[in-house]
Amino acid sequence: MNTKRVALLVLLGSMVVVPVAQGQIKHIEMRVEGMT
Amino acid sequence: MKQSLGRQSGVQNVDVSLLDGKVDVTPKEDGQIDPAQLLKATYDSGVSVAELDMIARGKIVKDSSGNLALQVERNQSFVLAQNELLKGLEPLADSPTLVTVRGQLFKKSTGKKKKDASAPLKLLILEVQKKE
Repeated sequence: MNTKRVALLVLLGSMVVVPVAQGQIKHIEMRVEGMT
Repeated sequence: MKQSLGRQSGVQNVDVSLLDGKVDVTPKEDGQIDPAQLLKATYDSGVSVAELDMIARGKIVKDSSGNLALQVERNQSFVLAQNELLKGLEPLADSPTLVTVRGQLFKKSTGKKKKDASAPLKLLILEVQKKE
């Protein structure tokens, strides 16, 4: 029973610690013409 | 133009430099920004875009046609144009590795032939900044 609890705690802990890996557009730069 | 771009979905901040014709767009941390939509909004405000570069983080995936693409969101990916840098990323296809790249998504063609405006934009990798 204790082993199960420890395993569950470890599992939940790892879910909190490991950041969610995700992609993202970080920056966009445009060079434009005809701007006044 | 600044106001028009600032209204686009996922845009946090827009910086315009009149001197060198540069427009810097900072996306929101948790928002989804669409570069094609930015291009359209810029054209609609009467300004011509010569070049659009971006820095993006995502996974290298192979699409249904066998082309490599950078997937930044579940529903947002950019087909990658072939070059030497892409060859180095090919082994990462469909792996969980996240890569951060700087790339060119649009460049105004200098030739007389006009590009098909409806053709999807291809991302030409200029620099691989990070693999994680």
